[in-house]
Amino acid sequence: MAELRTWAPTVTSVLASAEACDRVGDLPGACRVSPGEVALVGDVSEAAVAAVVVRLDPDAVVLDVSDGWGAHTLDGPGSRPAFACLSELELPIEGSLVGEVARVGARILVDRDRIDLLVPSMVSAHVRERIETDCAELLR
Amino acid sequence: MTPGPFRFEGREVQVLDGDTVASALFRAGVRTFSRSLKAHRRRGLYCGTGECPNCSVTVDGIPGVRSCITPAAAGMRVERGRGWPSADHDLLHVADLAHPLMPVGFYLKTFIRPRFAWRMAERVIRRGTGSGPLPLDTGTPRTVARYARCETIVVGAGIAGLTAALEAAETGERVLLCDEFAIGSRLAPGPTLDAVRALEQRVRATPAIEILERHAALGLFDGPTVPLADSAELVQVRADRVVVATGATESHQLFPGNDLPGVWLGRAASAMAALHGVPVGRRVVVVASTTEGLEHLRALVAAGARVVAALVPAAFVDEVPHETEAIVDGELVEARGHGRLRSVIVHEVGERRRIACDALVLSTGLGPRDELARMAVNEPIRLVGDAALVADEPGLGGGYLCLCEDVTLHDAEQARAEGFRSAEILKRYTTATMGPCKGAMCSLALACFARGRADAADARPDARPTVRPPLRPVALHALAASVHEVIEKRTGLHDTHVAAGATLGWSSGWKRPIFYADPTEEYHAVRERVGLMDVGTLGRFLIAGRDATTLAGAVFAGRVDDLAPGRSRYVLALDEGGYVVDDGLLCALEGGSYLLTSTSGGAERMDARLREWAERLGLHVHVLDRTSELGAILVAGPRARDLVGALTEDPIDAASLPYPGHRELTVAGVACRAIRSGFVGELAFELHHPRSNGPRLWSSLQQAGRDMGVSPFGLEALELLRLEKGHVYLGQDTLPDDTPAKLGLARAVDMTKPWFVGKAALERLAELPLTRRLAGLLFEGAADGAGLRGAPLTAGAAVVGRVTSAERSPALDRAIGLGWIRRGRDGFPNELRAGDAVARIVPTPFYDPEDTRVRG
Repeated sequence: MAELRTWAPTVTSVLASAEACDRVGDLPGACRVSPGEVALVGDVSEAAVAAVVVRLDPDAVVLDVSDGWGAHTLDGPGSRPAFACLSELELPIEGSLVGEVARVGARILVDRDRIDLLVPSMVSAHVRERIETDCAELLR
Repeated sequence: MTPGPFRFEGREVQVLDGDTVASALFRAGVRTFSRSLKAHRRRGLYCGTGECPNCSVTVDGIPGVRSCITPAAAGMRVERGRGWPSADHDLLHVADLAHPLMPVGFYLKTFIRPRFAWRMAERVIRRGTGSGPLPLDTGTPRTVARYARCETIVVGAGIAGLTAALEAAETGERVLLCDEFAIGSRLAPGPTLDAVRALEQRVRATPAIEILERHAALGLFDGPTVPLADSAELVQVRADRVVVATGATESHQLFPGNDLPGVWLGRAASAMAALHGVPVGRRVVVVASTTEGLEHLRALVAAGARVVAALVPAAFVDEVPHETEAIVDGELVEARGHGRLRSVIVHEVGERRRIACDALVLSTGLGPRDELARMAVNEPIRLVGDAALVADEPGLGGGYLCLCEDVTLHDAEQARAEGFRSAEILKRYTTATMGPCKGAMCSLALACFARGRADAADARPDARPTVRPPLRPVALHALAASVHEVIEKRTGLHDTHVAAGATLGWSSGWKRPIFYADPTEEYHAVRERVGLMDVGTLGRFLIAGRDATTLAGAVFAGRVDDLAPGRSRYVLALDEGGYVVDDGLLCALEGGSYLLTSTSGGAERMDARLREWAERLGLHVHVLDRTSELGAILVAGPRARDLVGALTEDPIDAASLPYPGHRELTVAGVACRAIRSGFVGELAFELHHPRSNGPRLWSSLQQAGRDMGVSPFGLEALELLRLEKGHVYLGQDTLPDDTPAKLGLARAVDMTKPWFVGKAALERLAELPLTRRLAGLLFEGAADGAGLRGAPLTAGAAVVGRVTSAERSPALDRAIGLGWIRRGRDGFPNELRAGDAVARIVPTPFYDPEDTRVRG
């Protein structure tokens, strides 16, 4: 079984050169969206991150975009089977990836049996409803 | 199985343990299970493995259910789909008598002229054919889709499949083993079942093997991906390798009378007798050319059937039970009977002989079920077990080639005589193999026919007909699993609108207020006082980086490099063909960045365009889609400035925030970017704000505007407001090949720019005359404009255009609209007709053409 929790994440978008993004790509909660974009999930100092990336890319953009994202966490031994009802992505044991979940572009953070799904706020209600419908038998 | 009877056409049918719907019905005396598709011939149980269409019935309102593989359950409601007034006494059987008058290709040759004839014939044909009416009064069931990943998928859980799964697991692979039935459930007790049970035990004890029983493989797709369906879910399995262990089907023999009820394939007869304990007839004739056929013969005898004769090869003579007459090397010539089998004609040592019987059991060879493998192009796929067999060729002595589509061998002969030679082309012309069994029964026979008649003119005489998914009948809702859902986008004010009692509707994937109470009153609020609209659906993009201006200059057709911070400009995005793909408002920010607002429906397309061109041009640009993050409220009307001004201390007079322009404001304590916009034709401010602050800002504006007569307004009022201004809705008012000139938007194009996407095409198109354009329409003789939307615009008898938008304008007290019109010999027309109304071509905007009100 898995537990489903919906919460409001703190997300900082870093748009910079690939080299600059590499510098923050290993931070806790980092999700590499593309070579030129990293999403940092969790409390980070915007100024500190900016200081790192701007040194390598003066045009870099570091922006708190928390309002743009909703988060749904699947936690527990049933989290991976539940995720398989939502997406064809193959999950690592730990790490992050981006891809389609419930037909919505999502950012995914994985830590063993805990899967954090970050989806755009405008479709967050849809994703929650879809999880509740399609994974009903796997949810606590 | 649930104990208890089920209802069958008004009577009760008892169900015994292990019964299928077919076995229960057969025990109850039902012999005609269905009527054939076209000729309405009686069809009885035949294959017993869910391959053929004969046993299809309607169960609980769902037509096309294979009764031979559907477990019976108490309370079911079972009916036969075809036949009028009933399947037992079907007057439409007259179609069989008319078969000689309806040769192959009948529908392709008949009712072609006059053209209306087909429409009439189609109605009659549709009533007389089909598998029964679809249930239209039930809700749409939702099928869950899930995805599975493995190294090897094994399709088929017989001895070969179980063995292959174990072998793969032993090499350390993750294996998914699937079968359309429960493992071993279709086997009668005996050595084969014992072997399956032993292997099953080992498989179930192997953690690396996931078992999916009752999941039918529907096809093979890129990946390779094998979709599996059961009644509750669709599983998309992505595997590195595919092992096909789907076994083989018994050959469908062609001889006159081969479709009569009472003609059985060996597996069906043997299962009916041995598994369900129902004799298949009182006098049975068996044709057993294989060792499996001998097993069926023994099983029938052991179950108490009276097998009067067995046609066997000489090598099997000693195996025939002594109470059965063995006919050595005899040849089955014909099955006879009216509506059911009465006798068979056999050739025995040159002598023709009639044997009275009511059941004929055929076990004459096997054809591999290799359809999955035949779908493969380059996918790593391996056939094992009977699926890898070389097919035994069926006899082609006459009768029905395709049971699903009522195609006879004679039909195939005729098609060949008409020049349709290869199996694939014969298939397309005769429709053989195109029925519900997808060729499982007849594909081999058709291929053998084509090969047998081939001569030097045939390029590929050995080719089998193409196999296409789905391999098993599957409900549409299962196929739609994971793709049929509508993704509902909501703005941050969604709950506020619901609480206000707004009527919500779909618009470009968003759920938006259509109106709150009275759309006409909402319109007047904007024109006379002040209105609020949730425009958080607009696409919003940050374009930053040292090449941001270069990118904006490339993607948009107008000039952008002269746009000073704080100013904004209407922009058009074209494709390489010079056609308009989207529009928006580009706001220049400090530091060379831009905030772009695009149409609600075009946001994703705009995002892709910006990123694509940044990459193609190698620009150092950062594009951030802020659509989801930002809310936006449009404050519009003559008192808009009063309302916003009441909630901010920042200057918003025409000099501080001119049109078109933008600036940061704090409104009711919420940090906003205010953009002056002109879409509704009044003084207006779009307040773009953090999404989470939307409800607070909306509430503050409502409260502060109470004395000003503020009113929220929805899409219906917006439609009227923008139409009076002559603004174009991309998609509604446009066609895919609309250039800026056709839409009257040439002002948004700067042809003096060195380059932008679509410029070269526009230069070429400029040399051609404008043949079509979007025009303003003023209607006379139409009280209500909305009814004119979509109406053809005519000049005399000729259709020269179409109305794309129309409404009754309160400001003009006339019906107005937009529509595209075609140039005639004398130029563009000035006056047309739209139904009974006269449509005069007029310039737009209809309302405040000098933009005095917008500039405020």
